[in-house]
Amino acid sequence: MKYIVLISVIFLSLSVFSCRENINERNGVLYWSSNNTDEITYARFIVEKWNRDNPGKQVRFQPVPEGQSSEEVILAAVVGGTTPDVYSNMWQGDVEYYARAGKLVALDTLEGFMDFLNARCDSAVIKEVTSRDGHIYQIPWKINPIMMIYNKKMLAKTGLKSPPRTYTEFLKMAGIIQKASLVGGRVTKWAGYAEVQVTWWQRWFDYYPLYLSASGGAKLVNADTAVFDNKYSVSTFAFLQKIFKNNYFPTDRLSSGQDPFLSGMIATRFTGPWEIVHAEKFKPEGFEYDFAPMPVPDDHSGPQYTYGDTKNLVIFKTCKNPLTAWYFLREFCRLENEAVFLKITNQLPRRKDLTSDPLFSNYFAANPLMIPFAKQARYVIGPDNSPVLKEVFDVISAEYEQCVVYSKKSPASAVKDAAHSANLVLMQ
Amino acid sequence: MNLKRLSGIKKTAAYIFLFIGAAAFVYPFIWMLMASLAPEKDIASFALWPTSIGLGSYVQVFEKIPVLRAFLNSMIVSLTVTFFVVVFSSMTGFALTHYEFKGRDAVFYIIIFTMSLPFQLTLIPQYILMVKLGWTDSYLALTVPYFISGLGIIIFRQYFKTIPRDLFDAARIDGCSDLKILFSILLPNAKPAIITVAILTFMGVWNDVLWPIIVIRNENLMTLPQLITLFAVGGKAESQLGVKLASAVLLAVPVVVAYSFFQKYFITSMASSGMKE
Amino acid sequence: MGKKKLTPYLLIAPYIIHFGLFVAFPVVFSLVLVFHRWNIISPMEYVGPGNFIRLLGDTFFWQSVLNTLYFILIHVPLQLLIAISFALILNLPLRMLGVFRAIYFLPVVVSGVVVTILWQQLFGYENGILNRLLTYLTLPRIGWLTDPDIAMPSIAIMATWKNVGLYIILFLTGLQTVPVQLYESADLEGATAWQKFRHITIPMINPTILLVLVLSTIGGFSLFIEPYVMTGGGPLSRTLSSVLYIYKQGFFFYHMGYAATMGVTLTAIILVVVIIQKKYVERNT
Repeated sequence: MKYIVLISVIFLSLSVFSCRENINERNGVLYWSSNNTDEITYARFIVEKWNRDNPGKQVRFQPVPEGQSSEEVILAAVVGGTTPDVYSNMWQGDVEYYARAGKLVALDTLEGFMDFLNARCDSAVIKEVTSRDGHIYQIPWKINPIMMIYNKKMLAKTGLKSPPRTYTEFLKMAGIIQKASLVGGRVTKWAGYAEVQVTWWQRWFDYYPLYLSASGGAKLVNADTAVFDNKYSVSTFAFLQKIFKNNYFPTDRLSSGQDPFLSGMIATRFTGPWEIVHAEKFKPEGFEYDFAPMPVPDDHSGPQYTYGDTKNLVIFKTCKNPLTAWYFLREFCRLENEAVFLKITNQLPRRKDLTSDPLFSNYFAANPLMIPFAKQARYVIGPDNSPVLKEVFDVISAEYEQCVVYSKKSPASAVKDAAHSANLVLMQ
Repeated sequence: MNLKRLSGIKKTAAYIFLFIGAAAFVYPFIWMLMASLAPEKDIASFALWPTSIGLGSYVQVFEKIPVLRAFLNSMIVSLTVTFFVVVFSSMTGFALTHYEFKGRDAVFYIIIFTMSLPFQLTLIPQYILMVKLGWTDSYLALTVPYFISGLGIIIFRQYFKTIPRDLFDAARIDGCSDLKILFSILLPNAKPAIITVAILTFMGVWNDVLWPIIVIRNENLMTLPQLITLFAVGGKAESQLGVKLASAVLLAVPVVVAYSFFQKYFITSMASSGMKE
Repeated sequence: MGKKKLTPYLLIAPYIIHFGLFVAFPVVFSLVLVFHRWNIISPMEYVGPGNFIRLLGDTFFWQSVLNTLYFILIHVPLQLLIAISFALILNLPLRMLGVFRAIYFLPVVVSGVVVTILWQQLFGYENGILNRLLTYLTLPRIGWLTDPDIAMPSIAIMATWKNVGLYIILFLTGLQTVPVQLYESADLEGATAWQKFRHITIPMINPTILLVLVLSTIGGFSLFIEPYVMTGGGPLSRTLSSVLYIYKQGFFFYHMGYAATMGVTLTAIILVVVIIQKKYVERNT
């Protein structure tokens, strides 16, 4: 008997541990933010403000529970049926996956939404975030455009007056840096660095933004078909292949303790505005840097697009008060509030008045390093609508490794094979 | 092959061989320990002794990830599973040895069959089961699926076979209930079996990474090996070698300490995992 | 009396319940899953043999199987050779054997994650200990984990280093069961050391050889954490193990039906390989 009691005690204690909070209150809305410190600060600010003004419709807020990545935590929540009502950090490439599974509220069916969206974004962006079924399941919220950060002094030493604009200029710069860095036949400095690992999202920092720049913002996937088998992909692959072939980028993971860019081992890097905070914190005395658009093919003309790492706002179907949630999100995105958001987080809201409204210009006057990003913001593309977009990036990554890093394939055939595999994935 | 016939030269050769082997097994661990104490710039260059030592890397590990919490999780999970495996395995082993009942042989064959199933077959459906039961991100997912061990049952069954029936019958005549016979007479006499099953189970659960990675996403519920794995793979270590190695040392220390105390038990227990056949 | 009859069933009840929930159900369910497409958040969709057709054309899966077999092909013989050699020496009448045995066993008890993180540093190209040793010996450096042809053998070496202690002990136990008289009578007939080893030791420890073969083969098919931490399956997918690929398809892309199909297929492959091994060892001794 003793043992049965003991066993049940342990069982009980186990089930207590695993008990989940019951989170859906009757009239309220539960909102999850990302667990980035600055975003939490903004979330606190906006939730307090809202709750003050709307006593009957309280919003409860918590950062997304810590986990491997917020994407995985959200998926686990959807699978387990423990989603919040509102989530503010949905990667745009994930939206279609949840939308097709019927997990998201179609926002265009909510009163006043389309007026709001038309005021916020231009038609290209609206088209970009419209799902294949014609509905809109997300509010374009914020972007972190990928650009080229460069070490001013290192560049000056190569004799260049401005950062390299085209592939040829970039390769020329890379050659000069390499030659000057040779110590006993060994290369000690590189033009840049790109992860050689095949993790799918690493392509956000090399192939994808280069492809968008070269092509004027072309899609990877359109109507569930791969559409990236074109000359822009090929020239991007060829450019990167040349870089690795000539050892302009190191193929080994740089595993020293210091940041390779700030320590002057690499002259450039394709990265986002978050690099500014990091650089300001760790840069050595006298270190100077700035940002420039991604390099483009020599014959390129027209605007230069790049990848924006777009994060959007969504309402989950489990939400009991979608209207309240929507009004909360509208407040969340109001001009005055987003000016506060920009100031707190240094992340750009995705809205067309970003460079024109005086509320924002004050910020940019105080943060000149952010100006290139603000200028770039008009020409930013978010990931395409496909429920299997991650896999598309994954197959591109595999071909990227074969062609770019190891030169086992020509750019043309690598791109062709990637598109073929992507179509197989898309057909599934 | 006995002592008298082993010549001096052969003996020396054997010792040299053994010493080289020992160095190959121990040196990497010593290097890892020293590297975790060394300043970051030294790690790339020292072979045995860095220019200076300090706990900086460890401080960073503790700042970046909840190591203590994960250690506690691992302890809770491993001890709970070990307890239940010993209880349930001994119960089943007891039933299989001291009772005649319909289906006994069938149960035995099912156990053997189950043991030969590779985990690759059941990985996906088991995960789905966890999801459907709502057990993901809870201790339940980390413990309950492990509560039964076929090997544990076999070990107890073999051990109970060696305990004379008289002991059992005498206790029964004294009016003991069957459960009482098992838990207060048989088990206290089955220490070697308990130790073997306990060590095998504990080590198996403590070192497992794949299953926790799949069912646990909440950092506060992660086991120590899972946390360290994700730390090493993910970006939080910011590619600082010393910090990575310090986290690995932290993961190794509890087991190495336990091993140095109970080395004999560890070796005999883990070697008996080979008696599957 | 009725109660007495019930007792054994009560005793095995936990086992039966657990078996039903965590073994029987998953096995049956995986056989259902293989005929479905399911991303876990949408309803299941029947696709007939669709998953198997996809599997046949999936070069990554077959490469992962070949990679895993390649790993086993290097790892298992290396393991056998080293384990037998050390066991033979540890079986000699020498001193401090307990200490050596304890040292060799150390990597066995330490978590695979520790070993992997540690060896990732030893294998480093620029500053890893192994390449520094090569440079010191004026030999060219090796891309232990970055050279596509060498990455998997490197992982096999590491896995051998980690596990060989266990197999040394197993062989040692096996060697100790060989009756000394056999060697003595062989000595009388003037047999050489090699002849004794080949015709007495090997046949006598045959069950252990088979055991070690099967155990390390099954272990080889579970290869996951090493490539997961060290290479992510690269370079050029040469270290993509089958379990890593199943993990990727199942828990990254949420193709539950497809991942289950790979699990079932892999189980069949494991079965075939183990049966072949058994037949081979039994025939050759």
